[in-house]
Amino acid sequence: MIKIVKRDQPSRAIFFFTPVLAIFLTLVAGGLIFFILGFKPFEALKFFFIVPIADKYGFSELLLKATPLCLIAIGLSFCFKSNNWNIGAEGQLTFGAIVSGGVALLFYEQEGFYILPIVILAGAIGGMLYASIPAILKTYFNTNEILVSLMLVYVSKLILDYLVVGPWSNPEGFNFPETRQFSDSAKLPLLFEGLRIHAGIFLALAAVVISWFVFYKTYLGFQMKVSGFSLKTAKYAGYKGKKMIILVFLISGACAGLAGVGEITGPIGQLHREISPDYGFTAIIVAFLGRLHPVGIIFASLVVAITYLGAETAQIFMQIPKYTGQVFQGMILFFLLASDYLLFFKIKFIGLKK
Amino acid sequence: MNTNLKISNVTKIYPGCVANDNVSLEFNSGKIYALLGENGAGKSTLVKILSGVIIPDEGKIYLNENNLKLNSPLDAKKNDIGMVFQHFNLFETLSVFENLIIDSDEQRESVREKIDAIMKKYNFSIDLDIPVLNLSAGQKQKVEIIRCLIRSPKVLIMDEPTSVLTEQETSELFLSLKKFSEEGILIIYITHKLKEVMQLCDEVAVMRRGKLVSVSEIKNENIESLANKMVGQNLKTIKKKKAKTSSDQLIKITNLNFTSEDPFETNLTDINFSVNRGECLGIAGISGNGQSELFQVLSGEIISEKNSIEFNNNYIGDLSPQERREYLMAFSPEDRLEQAAIPQMKIFENVALNNFKSSNFFNNGLINENKIKEHSKKIISDFNVNTDNIELKSQFLSGGNLQKLIIGRELITSPDLLICFNPTWGLDVGAINYIHETLIKINEQNKSIILISTDTDELLKLSDKISVIHKGKLSKIMNSEEVTSEKLGILMGGAN
Repeated sequence: MIKIVKRDQPSRAIFFFTPVLAIFLTLVAGGLIFFILGFKPFEALKFFFIVPIADKYGFSELLLKATPLCLIAIGLSFCFKSNNWNIGAEGQLTFGAIVSGGVALLFYEQEGFYILPIVILAGAIGGMLYASIPAILKTYFNTNEILVSLMLVYVSKLILDYLVVGPWSNPEGFNFPETRQFSDSAKLPLLFEGLRIHAGIFLALAAVVISWFVFYKTYLGFQMKVSGFSLKTAKYAGYKGKKMIILVFLISGACAGLAGVGEITGPIGQLHREISPDYGFTAIIVAFLGRLHPVGIIFASLVVAITYLGAETAQIFMQIPKYTGQVFQGMILFFLLASDYLLFFKIKFIGLKK
Repeated sequence: MNTNLKISNVTKIYPGCVANDNVSLEFNSGKIYALLGENGAGKSTLVKILSGVIIPDEGKIYLNENNLKLNSPLDAKKNDIGMVFQHFNLFETLSVFENLIIDSDEQRESVREKIDAIMKKYNFSIDLDIPVLNLSAGQKQKVEIIRCLIRSPKVLIMDEPTSVLTEQETSELFLSLKKFSEEGILIIYITHKLKEVMQLCDEVAVMRRGKLVSVSEIKNENIESLANKMVGQNLKTIKKKKAKTSSDQLIKITNLNFTSEDPFETNLTDINFSVNRGECLGIAGISGNGQSELFQVLSGEIISEKNSIEFNNNYIGDLSPQERREYLMAFSPEDRLEQAAIPQMKIFENVALNNFKSSNFFNNGLINENKIKEHSKKIISDFNVNTDNIELKSQFLSGGNLQKLIIGRELITSPDLLICFNPTWGLDVGAINYIHETLIKINEQNKSIILISTDTDELLKLSDKISVIHKGKLSKIMNSEEVTSEKLGILMGGAN
């Protein structure tokens, strides 16, 4: 007989084991789906998860996709840890990209070492500005940040749309909905000849290190932890709640904005309609899969990045729609939430009792 | 007709705790039975088993020799077991009558006649057509009782019924209960208040740590003997020495008002009082009369007008809790698990919640873990917290140990004023004694206390002055020697 027993204490090993279990279950379920669709499950999974990263180019692509995911997820974990539910990172990414893209376009015929830092800074500021809207509305007007931040995503995408077909569209671009190419000085340098991986990865790594330090070594991190457990306690301890809400949203917005900069000044090199395959939303999954821990987020972003690549390979070699990638992302989150049950309960196998 | 209720070998085990350990009891109608025990002794579990809320792991229940299968509260009702819980299960916005017929399938008119008859018989006067939210706690309880009586129960179980009642309401309740008993209803009365047991009951069953310790007749017991059975040890009695009368004023509250946007909170009107050094001011009242709001206003969780609070010759009404701590105030809130401490965090992390600047827990925005740990060790040994591991998560501390940790954390800064709200709520007698001794010691060191409590005995024991809060207003401040619990009861009920 199987009996489910409540754990006295959520075990630390289980805490890190459940994400691995979730990934394993996702693979099993994915294989099953491929089987039902009429593919050989192992072969399909190989195309999905191994072929895309089997060579140098593939590995560079993996890091390329993981970079924005990691950066955004780090930013989001500042919010999530302190009980602030920012789910509009996609909008902050877009707005950051708009601001930094606008600045890059200002310099479009110029070269100079100073251009790139200004462009990057502009992106961070853009993301912060956009994240400050739900934060200020929440602190001063008691609005729900989930709704506000989510709705602002669509606003930012429409602004981007308007700009690339209207005022910012390339005058020599035959009415394609895109801007001019940025000048080389406004682009992030590539790390290796022939590969697309760019210097943006250092931004992500810096974010990992800084966030680890803030979370575990600073008063701010401690206050975030307390607020995350109980807002009543935070109030009783006398923490300045409003200031903290705004601060974590700004940090989170800056990270998303930087991820936007990385995309448009990296592999894309201009603004157009689709600058992000929903990195801002997928990063929510990454943040939770990584347990809001900086190191966990590195691994989680790599795992989730594979689903993007795998979806493309699977489309090319097996004619499976690339949206399978989103199915896999959904399954990871689904199984993660389900296996979190094990954090609080354990399954006991006991002999039949007479 | 005689009713016989038998509990036979009932056991209920929760992870990490045996709530009921092979309990057997027998009750007969015509008597009022007390089920006595401390918090966590297993009374509530036993009662929930009788009312079908909890299904026991083992054991049987017989009513007049019939084995009852109580799988839901409905089964209990069908078997004529009525239950009045400590927390009322009424719809506040529905009328009294609507609340009474909500689980009845009879005709409205016939139920109404029945209710009228019951009210007449027991001398209850409640307007059936006003919403329940307009009733006092005592009236609400009568509604709950009427709801049971409609079904003419054989057994009526009352779970800690007096915790929200005034002294007067309590004696009314006792009269009714005695009447019910004379009419043949078997009454089981759950409580941890010894005085009430002596006053009301005929027989008493004492539980301790899930086990039935004794069953005896009240005439063979007295308060001391029952207390010792309940706690399982001989208690020393603590007495407070009369404080030296000091006229050195420490805190003064002037014309303090608070109007809440939340309809479930109580507004505070025109609060005025002062506390001298070395004094303990007790604030009595039935819970929900503005105590929580008053605590928050004093702690700075709710900001008020700058001049309304004068502390040590500074106006501090507009300061945050953290800033008030710097002026040497300390706070122990009512809710240990959701406010005063975070159970999922380690002991030393909980100590760091009191960020008093000169404790140097945080320097330049960085955590100074060594300092925090050093302090935590000191608190644990100074305040007798029963563990030596400061890395332990606080959820593994018992309520008493957690409260000692909290009080210790607040006192480590040697504040001039400690404000505590129900500091011994839900604790076992040993821990209560310890906390009381600690509070007395604070006064002896010429430091002051504001003690907001719903426990009248505690207030009478510890306070030098007492005031009563009712609907957000304070009564005049009285010297505690001039006050009796009866007098407090009258004031708590809102009379002058």
